[in-house]
Amino acid sequence: MSNLLPLIQNETLKIWKKKRFFVILLILAILIPIFTYAQMRMAENNKDKFADWRSQIIQQIADYQNALTSDRIPEEWKKYRRIMVQQLTYYLENDVDPSAPNAVTFTRGFMNNAVTLFIPLLVLSIGSDLISGERSSGTIKMLLTRPVRRWKILFAKLVALIFYISLTIISTLILCYAISGIFFGYGGWNLPVFTGFVINGAEVDSSGVHAVPHWLYIMMQAGLAWFSAVIVGLLSMMVSVLVRSTAASIVTMMATIIAGTILSNMASAWDTAKYIFSVNLQLTGYLDGSPPPIEGMTMLFSIGVLGVWGLIALIISFGVFTKQDILN
Amino acid sequence: MNNRPKGSAALWRIIAGAASLATLLLLFGFAYAVNDVLNPAAPAPAPGAPALDGQQPLLGSKEELKIVAIGDSLTKGTGDATGQGYVRRVVTGLAQKMDSQVKLVNNLAINGLRTEQLIDKLQHDTGMKYALKQADLILFTIGGNDLSKLAQTALRSDSANPDFGVEEIGKQLQDGLGRLDQVFKLVNEANPDAQIVYVGLYNPFYPIPELREGSLQVQKWNDEAYRLSFSYPHMKLVPVFDLFEDPGGTYLASDRFHPNGEGYAHIAERIVQMLH
Amino acid sequence: MTTEGYRTDSGAAAVLSVEGLRKRIKGKWIIHDVSFDVRPGEIFGFLGPNGSGKTTTIRMLVDLIKPTAGKVMIGGYNVQKQPEQALRHVGCIVENPEVYPYMSGWENLEHFARMQPGIGEERIREVVEIVGMDQRIHDKVKTYSLGMRQRLGIAQALLARPELLILDEPTNGLDPKGIKELREFVRMLAAEGMSLFISSHLLSEIQLMCDRVAIINGGRVLAVGTVNELIDENASYVLWQVDQREQAVALLSKLGEVTLLEQGDHGIDDAVMTALPDAIVTTITPGAIPGIVQKLVSSGIGIEAVQKVSPTLEELFLKLTEGEGIV
Repeated sequence: MSNLLPLIQNETLKIWKKKRFFVILLILAILIPIFTYAQMRMAENNKDKFADWRSQIIQQIADYQNALTSDRIPEEWKKYRRIMVQQLTYYLENDVDPSAPNAVTFTRGFMNNAVTLFIPLLVLSIGSDLISGERSSGTIKMLLTRPVRRWKILFAKLVALIFYISLTIISTLILCYAISGIFFGYGGWNLPVFTGFVINGAEVDSSGVHAVPHWLYIMMQAGLAWFSAVIVGLLSMMVSVLVRSTAASIVTMMATIIAGTILSNMASAWDTAKYIFSVNLQLTGYLDGSPPPIEGMTMLFSIGVLGVWGLIALIISFGVFTKQDILN
Repeated sequence: MNNRPKGSAALWRIIAGAASLATLLLLFGFAYAVNDVLNPAAPAPAPGAPALDGQQPLLGSKEELKIVAIGDSLTKGTGDATGQGYVRRVVTGLAQKMDSQVKLVNNLAINGLRTEQLIDKLQHDTGMKYALKQADLILFTIGGNDLSKLAQTALRSDSANPDFGVEEIGKQLQDGLGRLDQVFKLVNEANPDAQIVYVGLYNPFYPIPELREGSLQVQKWNDEAYRLSFSYPHMKLVPVFDLFEDPGGTYLASDRFHPNGEGYAHIAERIVQMLH
Repeated sequence: MTTEGYRTDSGAAAVLSVEGLRKRIKGKWIIHDVSFDVRPGEIFGFLGPNGSGKTTTIRMLVDLIKPTAGKVMIGGYNVQKQPEQALRHVGCIVENPEVYPYMSGWENLEHFARMQPGIGEERIREVVEIVGMDQRIHDKVKTYSLGMRQRLGIAQALLARPELLILDEPTNGLDPKGIKELREFVRMLAAEGMSLFISSHLLSEIQLMCDRVAIINGGRVLAVGTVNELIDENASYVLWQVDQREQAVALLSKLGEVTLLEQGDHGIDDAVMTALPDAIVTTITPGAIPGIVQKLVSSGIGIEAVQKVSPTLEELFLKLTEGEGIV
């Protein structure tokens, strides 16, 4: 075991030197201000229109209710609106502004939206390159002719990948907070946020609802986003083992993830889709009580499905990598 | 392993340290989240947050008139191609007339709302109560859907159920008016200081000769509503039925039920005329 | 064809011992039967044209490809079963010396040093000095020329003080000066007791560098032996330059141990022939040259030059496979 540490050091330094992580930070540093600006415009707009946040929520509820009366709106969408109405009402009755404009709220919102597509894409840029990168450059021949068992090399790469996934998520949080704070102020750490909504069909069971301070909520959210990202990382590593070129491996993974997001938006009637990994990535949705993409999905279900996918990816990655002939 | 050049080793130590810390933190978050879902903590009220009911309505300065609208599709503005309905037209009309700031706080109208649903909302919807409390002027319509439902039942019963006679219609109308009384009471209770405007009903089926008689029932409703409103000092009833007693249905929208933009404009005109 | 015939009898002392190696890829046999031994301290050539199975064999030696049958022993350990022990004392460059372009030469060496215990900074400095790269070792590899990368590759291979160094087509892409340096370098390493395994598709190269050679074609080892033996026995030409060409031809054609070859019967390079105008091309049974020289001289024919010329690789193969029905 003692010789694993230097291997992990190698892989970690390689990803760093390859400047993959800088690219991620750069993307975040460019995109977050854009979203912050959009959010700010929205907040200003609301400030003009509504007396206070309560009026805004009251109006939001009325708009949802009006949508419910329309026959043109599909039943599934109505279900979503009914749940939203109940949640907003809950916030209103407890006099808690769910979207108080501050850096912490922005961070929470950003994380929530980033978990299905944005963060997975960032993770792909590292994960898909793990093995295919060494293959396309030919360095895999140097790497595998050293007196080290292949599983150790792959394991070291996996640890390095998880390292950078963690760093990516923490950096996202920090950058979100730092950048949006310039505009919204840095407060809001202790604002209560409700969690524990249980959704049964179109009804929200709020008996388990409880308030947690904002900072803890963000930690929970980040933890769940991290789990999703690790599973995406494992899958991208598997594809990277199976496919020779990094580009092909990124495209393969991107296609499945985007397909998943599309599916979760439209295929709520197709029950089996809930076993597809990319439909389950939105773990953070279970925290704030958003309706799941497909009825009957719960957080434990999604974690289970993702866990099985991750396990299969691990088995295939290690199984193939340790036996594979390196032909070029 | 200790005698490497400092750059690489230090970099590794920093990355590994930061990454391990981050991983631990995220693992903690993940575990906490899973645990929180498995064993939800006892419901706790939001710490330090004042309850809504205890809050005083934010009395606007006299320069700013706050309007809240509730009720059914008429207040919503259904049928108006411009989307303004009578509510927004009242806002602009009043602003011009009184030369002051007029602000629509909320339009909480919901399509198809009936008296019993409005009663339920007035009793239980904290959001609506909160909104009403802030208002200087409350605009509302209700009852149209009660009557049209009644008319539909009556029409169907003509052939299928001859028992559904005049007495039955009269009885249901009376029930509806009883609920209207309750609505008036609840609205006044929600905000005793605000000026309240109730817009009377009209007969949308006037252009259809067989249904023209419905106007009589509508008028009965309006009469009774006027009587009920009379006892509240801040309440006014604005009649609009005459606008729609036109065989051509000039002021009706394409659905032949709701007013069109022009119809809403006339309703708004009357409200603005009456207020001063 | 049996493999045993080509086995050398060096026994257990061999640094690298390959036995009955076979490989099938996608239902097709790529390597039919490869066996040979590399003894300590020798420079062993692995000669074969492109596509003969050289690279596949080398990849099996260092555990990049799993053989379908047969085994590879390095330093007494089975490469497939105990790769950690077996590969510990092997340095290798498979095909091109591929290193990480986004790191400096030094960082690359550090990277590979970390993969094995007991290689400190001191050793990295040593190998950098051995390959003469002190000047640019801290530059990014992407700025290196091919020759520089080759040196870095060798430095990497030397890190663990290997007993066996495997170089796959090491002269590919090098200029004549580089090739000469490499040759000297290889000799130096061998002089220090290291075994070298060098593959090439150029006979001349193997001749210049190696002590012994295995010749491979079509996935089979055709012969194993010392380079000179193989060449002399099989297909060496003797070129004669004399003052009386016709008389000499008449005389030589009468001798039993001499076969005269016309233009077109031999595969000697045109460049060689132009350098030796009017040369008589013959093949001669080994050891017969002094006698023939005497006969020519006593017949009054003046000898200007007698030269041995190596056959091309193709000719060697032709000779080696004659009568075996492979060609």
